[in-house]
Amino acid sequence: MSKYAEDYTISEMMAAVCSLQIKNDDVAFVGVGIPLMAGAVAAATHAPEVIIVYEGGGVGAKSRRMPWTISDTPTTDNALAATAMHRVFGDQQRGFITVGIIGGAEIDKYGNLNTTTIFGENGTYHHPKVRLPGSGGANDIASSARRTVIVMRLEKGKFVNKVDFITSPGFLSGPGAREKAGLLGDGPSAVVTDRGLFKFDQETKEMYLEAIYPGMNVEQIKELIDWELKVSPQLYVMDPPTVEQITVMRTLDPMGTVLGRKSLRGEIEPFDVYYNSLKKSYQSRTITL
Amino acid sequence: MKDKRMTLKEAVSKYTWDGCTLNIGSICAREPMAVAHEIIRQGRKNITFVTDTTSDPAELLVAADCFSRIEAAYIWIGVVGQGYNIRRAVEEGIPHHIEIEPYSNYTAGLRLMAGAMGVPFLPTKSLLGSDIITHNPKIKVIDDPYGSGPVALVPAANPDTTFIHVQRSDMAGNCQIWGMLGNDDYAARAAKNVVITCEEIVPTGEIRKIPNMTVIPEYVVSAVVELPFGCHPLSVTGCYWMDNPFRQEFIKASRTRDGILAWMDEWVYGVEDHKQYLDKVGRDRLAKLQELEQDNCMIPEIICRTREGM
Repeated sequence: MSKYAEDYTISEMMAAVCSLQIKNDDVAFVGVGIPLMAGAVAAATHAPEVIIVYEGGGVGAKSRRMPWTISDTPTTDNALAATAMHRVFGDQQRGFITVGIIGGAEIDKYGNLNTTTIFGENGTYHHPKVRLPGSGGANDIASSARRTVIVMRLEKGKFVNKVDFITSPGFLSGPGAREKAGLLGDGPSAVVTDRGLFKFDQETKEMYLEAIYPGMNVEQIKELIDWELKVSPQLYVMDPPTVEQITVMRTLDPMGTVLGRKSLRGEIEPFDVYYNSLKKSYQSRTITL
Repeated sequence: MKDKRMTLKEAVSKYTWDGCTLNIGSICAREPMAVAHEIIRQGRKNITFVTDTTSDPAELLVAADCFSRIEAAYIWIGVVGQGYNIRRAVEEGIPHHIEIEPYSNYTAGLRLMAGAMGVPFLPTKSLLGSDIITHNPKIKVIDDPYGSGPVALVPAANPDTTFIHVQRSDMAGNCQIWGMLGNDDYAARAAKNVVITCEEIVPTGEIRKIPNMTVIPEYVVSAVVELPFGCHPLSVTGCYWMDNPFRQEFIKASRTRDGILAWMDEWVYGVEDHKQYLDKVGRDRLAKLQELEQDNCMIPEIICRTREGM
């Protein structure tokens, strides 16, 4: 049997690619959504010693259940520490967090992220076209984690020349700008999308296409991006997720709560289906402490 | 030993008022939905809400027109939905336009920390270079007088009242919390009045067995309300897990203004108090939520070691 999965969704591919950005010796801060799943997959596969830190204060949990947010109860199941939000963010500002993974709604070529507001025509901060959640901890992660990984879907109008609102700083206006602003972290190291993986040029700090997913094509990707996208001369096609990665994801997230298979469609599962599905998921996993 | 016990109705009536500055502690786990319901039933208006990140309670309080202003890092319902009510308020002024003063989670915590320590502000290396500074006139960037370059200053927050839900407290308000703490240790100390809601009131002797677990001591607490399942449909570590189907109904209802008004008629205005709400949710369902949590995490029983001869 092939080690690669044949049947997988794009969200699962994104989570798998994102998980590979986490290394065994990382202390990783993971945000809501695909980043949460990427952390769980990394810990269950190639990075068993990674310490996942959640914003609410959970450190190094070993849980049979998937956290759905950065502060719900699984974030401290069998944890190494259950501490406070200001404590883990202080640890990050101090330099202990080696990688932070965050999502975004709008991004520019320097990796500046917007999750606050889309102004629209004649819109202002207080009277925008679309209000988004705001920073949460993303600004702090983008400011002070030693490196950040960004996860977002590549859709027309989201990879723009200038974001409406810099919620989380990337390289700001280019080389030297982070240092001048006084930021501690090194800035974004990768952008994981639903079509390919992007990285940042060491000199120009500009985002470029590093690799594409199976079946994707560069020209289509270029059309979705507002700036003149540069492509790596060593561009390659990435491997699909492994059977092992997909098995972990589907066991941990049987209802697709995190990867959005159901929740995005607004389906509501009856309570008993919910209860039985979670019960079964917990029973199928053994945790060694 | 002071007895600060009262009902939720009494606590909300005494410690909230029109135009007050309010904080509700924790994030997702231990966010007391029952408090939001009671504030709505008592019809409070023009509240300034000061928080870090908040989910379902703030969405509901926005829908019920209790807020005029929010100072926060994140107002939304993540993962299972989105912030339909906050979006309607900011984008369309329904039921009422709300201004949001932006922060990040760390800097919202630093505001409470400054408030808790009695200093006017704290410096940070977050926020620098971002538009959170552009659109928040209270944040100042200065050159560190000790030479590290630019630092952002965030102002202290001292809310009129903070509500914090904990697993256990004694009747004077010595509180022990299991699981993540959010910014609750500082949120309690920053506030002028602190109302503790708890799953269980325990004898002070139980608290004294493990004093390192006491996050909030009685001298910062104004009132204690015993409120089992006070966070349903959200979770409490070691007690009960999230009721997502219930939340999904709430989120679905939130898609339209009429939908959320009807939902509030049924689940907030349509019940007398929290006990009636729980009866309506169903005791069997609540027991299953307890089971889903306690299959994974239980609050340890504290047994003190004794030396022979003591």
